[in-house]
Amino acid sequence: MGSPIDSWEGATAYFTGAGGATPGIFLAIAIILCVGLIVHGAITEEAAYKKHK
Amino acid sequence: MNTDPTDTVAAIAELQQAMTWTTTVNMEVFYWWCTALMFLIHAGFLGYEMGASRMKNVLASGMKNILAFAFVIPTFFFFGWWIYLASPGGLPDLSAETGGAPWSDAMGPNLADNASGIFWAAFALFGATTASIFSGAVIERIKMSGFIILAILLGSAVWILGASWAWHGDGWLLTEFGWHDFGAAGAVHMVAAFFAFGVLLNLGPRIGKFNADGSANVLKPHNIPLAVFGLMVLFVGFFGFLGGCIIYMGSGQWVTIFGNPVTLSAVAFNTVMAFGGGIIGGWAVTRDPFWMMSGALAGVFATASGLDLYWPPTTFVLAVAGGMLAPIGAAWLEKTFKIDDAVGAVSVHGICGAFGVLAFGVVASGYPNGDYPDTNFLGQLIGAISMGLLGFIPGYGVSLLLKMAGLLRIPEHVEVLGMDAVEVPVDAYPEGMHSPAKPVPGAVPAE
Repeated sequence: MGSPIDSWEGATAYFTGAGGATPGIFLAIAIILCVGLIVHGAITEEAAYKKHK
Repeated sequence: MNTDPTDTVAAIAELQQAMTWTTTVNMEVFYWWCTALMFLIHAGFLGYEMGASRMKNVLASGMKNILAFAFVIPTFFFFGWWIYLASPGGLPDLSAETGGAPWSDAMGPNLADNASGIFWAAFALFGATTASIFSGAVIERIKMSGFIILAILLGSAVWILGASWAWHGDGWLLTEFGWHDFGAAGAVHMVAAFFAFGVLLNLGPRIGKFNADGSANVLKPHNIPLAVFGLMVLFVGFFGFLGGCIIYMGSGQWVTIFGNPVTLSAVAFNTVMAFGGGIIGGWAVTRDPFWMMSGALAGVFATASGLDLYWPPTTFVLAVAGGMLAPIGAAWLEKTFKIDDAVGAVSVHGICGAFGVLAFGVVASGYPNGDYPDTNFLGQLIGAISMGLLGFIPGYGVSLLLKMAGLLRIPEHVEVLGMDAVEVPVDAYPEGMHSPAKPVPGAVPAE
């Protein structure tokens, strides 16, 4: 988390957490969010269908 | 005036560095605006699809289109760009160090890399375009969740695998067979359309589309002006799409993805001629504004492979043919396969895309490809078959699995009532036009 650099001189990858573990954690959370929200959407969809039957 | 040679050398070095930066930044700016223009493709598809829907499904159709875009973008980050960079030889090379993996230093702000983000964004938008093409075909009866899964599969995996083969400087279709497809009639349009065709076979037609004797009914779109306007907006976006098909070298001539030199002027000649020709073709066959504008799309896809090379009147002739072919192809597909393609996407993008890819082999063979085979008909034929199968097989296979899992089609009662009434918490036209599925507020039943 936070800045991976202490100077802009010679900096390359400068996104938050570059070179550390946090990008991997956020990537995992992002993937889980996408999958989870699709599943949640499917459940909500089925509930709406039943409600209007 | 005496000039110190040391100062001159320093000034030249400074000038060279400034020119390098100008080139790099110009490249970024060019693709930035191409990507921005490509958003108009989605604005256009949104209007097109909502207009083509019946009033009871207009918002659900719009939401589906928007969500396709929304889910393709992150998933293209997760694996789409990596597939493109790792697969020009065929299937993804798991050992390839391409820089496209989501944890790579290139996949985020990086002062040593001005290219990855801008190319990733452009290709992500191409991916979302494939999902939008598929989206229009399946409106008014597909489940949102099943649709999103299919859109991700197409937009972030299937098409980009095709792009790696057919729209990449090292793609095997180019290196082995001399394939050429400047505007991605194969990798984008054919793959998306044949994917949609596979899904449509499992999804089935909307209720009321076909009669017991097999004859088809027209399920009238609720807002043709919106659909027609959406298509016109979409064309504006095509200038971004086609701009994104060109590689900006900065210090020399523009080149295509296939490495041949090209000019924006060449593409401008042919793009505009294709729009005009396609509209005329659609008009000649149908007199229907919906098919005139769809004909314009068909005109571009019928010429997309050679927009960088064609003589403009050749483009016009092929585009007129594409505009004519689109409605005829849609009617043939409907009659032969009993599919209900609500916007004619399979014909416009698939049949006309295939026509364009093959026509290129007839009228533009013999162009040099450096160390690879010259452009030729056989290469185009092999590419067309590959793109068709690449789209159809996963579209059919995965939609069949979703159908078996009950995730493909909405229940009959929801289809009859309308998806907006069941799935959407707001009304499309609360004070204006009224859906037959919802009573007019304040209306009193007749005595």
